[in-house]
Amino acid sequence: MSRKWFSIAKAEFLISTVSLREHRTRNMGILFVFGFLWAILIAPYLGGTLVGLMIPIGILQFLLASLLPGLMRSVMFFIWVILLIIPLSRALQELKIGQWEIFLSHNVKTREILIGSFLGKVPFYTLLVIYIAPPFLAVLFLAFEVVLVGQLLIYFLLIVIILVTIWLSNLITAAIQAKLGESARGKDIANGLAILLAIITIIPIYGIMFYSQQMSHLLGMNIFLLFPFTWLADIISWLAILFSSLNFSLDQILLFQQVLHFNLLVNTMLFIVFVLACVGLGLLSADRIFTFNIGARTEQITTVKGNSAFYRGIRKLAPGSFGALVVTSMKDFFRKASNLSKIAYGIILAVLLPIVMAHLMTSLGETGGFDLMTLLMVGGIGLAVIGSFTFSGTSFMESKDQLWVIQTTPSGASRFVKARLVSAFIIAIPLCIIPTVVLAILAAAGIELFLFLLLYGYAIICGSIIFATGVTAWNPNYENTKSPEHQMNVIITMMGVQIILYAPILISMIGDIFGLPFWDLIISTVGRTGLPFAFALIGLVALFTMGGITLVKGTRALLRPEH
Amino acid sequence: MNNSVTIKTHKLNKHFGPVHAVRELDLEVKEGSRFGFLGPNGAGKTTTVRILSGLMKQSSGTATVCGLPLDQKRNKIKEITGLLPETPGLYSKLSAVEFLEFIGALNGKNGSQLMHRIDSLLELLGLESRQDDLIESYSSGMKQKVLIASTLLHNPKLVFLDEPTSRLDPSASMVVKELIQVLADETATTFFICTHQTSFAEDVCDGIGIIIDGSLVIQGTLEGITTATNARNLEEAYLRIVGSKVDREALLKWR
Repeated sequence: MSRKWFSIAKAEFLISTVSLREHRTRNMGILFVFGFLWAILIAPYLGGTLVGLMIPIGILQFLLASLLPGLMRSVMFFIWVILLIIPLSRALQELKIGQWEIFLSHNVKTREILIGSFLGKVPFYTLLVIYIAPPFLAVLFLAFEVVLVGQLLIYFLLIVIILVTIWLSNLITAAIQAKLGESARGKDIANGLAILLAIITIIPIYGIMFYSQQMSHLLGMNIFLLFPFTWLADIISWLAILFSSLNFSLDQILLFQQVLHFNLLVNTMLFIVFVLACVGLGLLSADRIFTFNIGARTEQITTVKGNSAFYRGIRKLAPGSFGALVVTSMKDFFRKASNLSKIAYGIILAVLLPIVMAHLMTSLGETGGFDLMTLLMVGGIGLAVIGSFTFSGTSFMESKDQLWVIQTTPSGASRFVKARLVSAFIIAIPLCIIPTVVLAILAAAGIELFLFLLLYGYAIICGSIIFATGVTAWNPNYENTKSPEHQMNVIITMMGVQIILYAPILISMIGDIFGLPFWDLIISTVGRTGLPFAFALIGLVALFTMGGITLVKGTRALLRPEH
Repeated sequence: MNNSVTIKTHKLNKHFGPVHAVRELDLEVKEGSRFGFLGPNGAGKTTTVRILSGLMKQSSGTATVCGLPLDQKRNKIKEITGLLPETPGLYSKLSAVEFLEFIGALNGKNGSQLMHRIDSLLELLGLESRQDDLIESYSSGMKQKVLIASTLLHNPKLVFLDEPTSRLDPSASMVVKELIQVLADETATTFFICTHQTSFAEDVCDGIGIIIDGSLVIQGTLEGITTATNARNLEEAYLRIVGSKVDREALLKWR
């Protein structure tokens, strides 16, 4: 094989490290050297010190001995999902069929593309694991007093699984990209899928954070013996036991055997077969994956029918040109897969958050359920995410190229912004209902409280929409969802809304610094029962005020000729 | 064509930091004319169009468009002008009809007159059989046709076209050429056309201006320019003015 794979790997590496492009070699060198020191010295030291402060080593050993198999499977599951999903999600946002055309037209073999694109990704994701894995492993090494050979073997296995998972992810990505093609429709579906994948990553993260015990039990079930991450996790567990200086007795080892089901040899064999199967599958299917025949670029043509009764209703209510703008805005929004994914993302997050909080409160022994203040705060976070994430950035405008179309019309930008706002307010109505219903059920709320929560939630979403629209109108110069300007808009919107909504907390913190008792002042004005309502009202007033200012500024910026 | 002036600029300048994109531009375009604005890549054509259509502020100098001062009446100018941008910003998830309805609504128009115009324009440009399909499935030429329709939809007095036929096939180009000529002749619509295609400019335009490095180096009729440069046609005149010479040996040196 010629060194064409090396050129592809180099290009892929340059892309993945573009943010370090000035002094790339030096910066990467520093990151790797520090990562090595982190893994070998800093993480074990910090881990040991922290664990020592929190829990006596004897108790930790006892706990880990009983929880080890499930816990190890949870951690491996987490690493597996991250390594599989993040590259997939990133790749879906940038379809590369055009690049394949260049490769294939230069007589590059499909296997070379596969190997090159895989190797190019290895440094970045290796760094990711070097920084994430050691704190977990440090606790394990400390508790089981794993000898150096065992530690090295575990790190070696971890590197193998990183490589295999990236290889697999690379393979799946290529197959999906070939299927979707580089069409506008394909890009939209890919963007939608990328956001949906982000949802999949949230669940194990929440699982690890709040349900580690339940997850350990769950992943300890026999069904998970079918998954490769279980084999690897069990190999690591076995190595930790066998290379421990604690000298486990034969009975203890037999007990582990009972829990883990397979012994080290079986797990190792299964894992080797899996690795070979992954590599073989990639090499054998490379030709099939990278051959895009007519299917890859064939568009599925969607023909639109007349307006639905819903859109006709809006046009009846607003028969003029403004009604037409509102309806076209809604059609444009609902036909994009990426927007539908954003809605799903927002709703899932808004529903998950109160469920997790409720579970936490139960586990902390709080039997009274949510008080109104907690309810408003927890509900507010989720609903603000729905409003800000769903309607910021590309949901407002696809790219800066659309600016010319809008700005060439007299006052078009202002009419466009108003129409987008009204359409978003309409879309927000059903979005608000689902999380509010979940929240009300969890809080065992009566009808009055439910209606209050609904109103409060809708106001938060609308305030977030106003802020999101204002921020995007202020800085609409983005090419696509990957451009830094677009990402900056989304970050400013999401963080801005959360900070503004919790203005009362900020005000009280600042008040504390200057000796002004903010909460006492509120309680003396509205009484203790009125406190949550005052909290909600101050947050909303702040959100609508800041949103209004941003919107006016943003609209003016859109209307102004470019300098 | 009458003698009233649609575009008049006086010492128009545009700087982007150290880059001087438009230099001391003095330009006159008569009403009902078809003015071809030619120049190499990066010469300042698109910047000029963006300034004259009210999208971009000039650094210095003055201009009147359709008799209106550019600095004071940008919105009024936008009402009576149309712009076909170089980079199309279509809404991929709308059909051609829906997109044109959207553009009409941005211009404050709706109802049966707008729908009639949309149908007529799409039929004229040969898109009637695909008019209800989402734009995402259109070829680049079809997208260009939708943009041309959107530019003409509100019946502007002055139309700026930035590379109008670069993505069109010969027959569609012919339709656009005829459309420009008929609109200019019958309705006194003025066209300001940026293009690299000298043959297109030769076929359509009655006035030509060539811009290099932001400076207008020549302006006149087609005959005037070919005579002044002692060329057989516009392409030859253009190459003489721009100074492109092809060195056959240099073409092979890279090997």
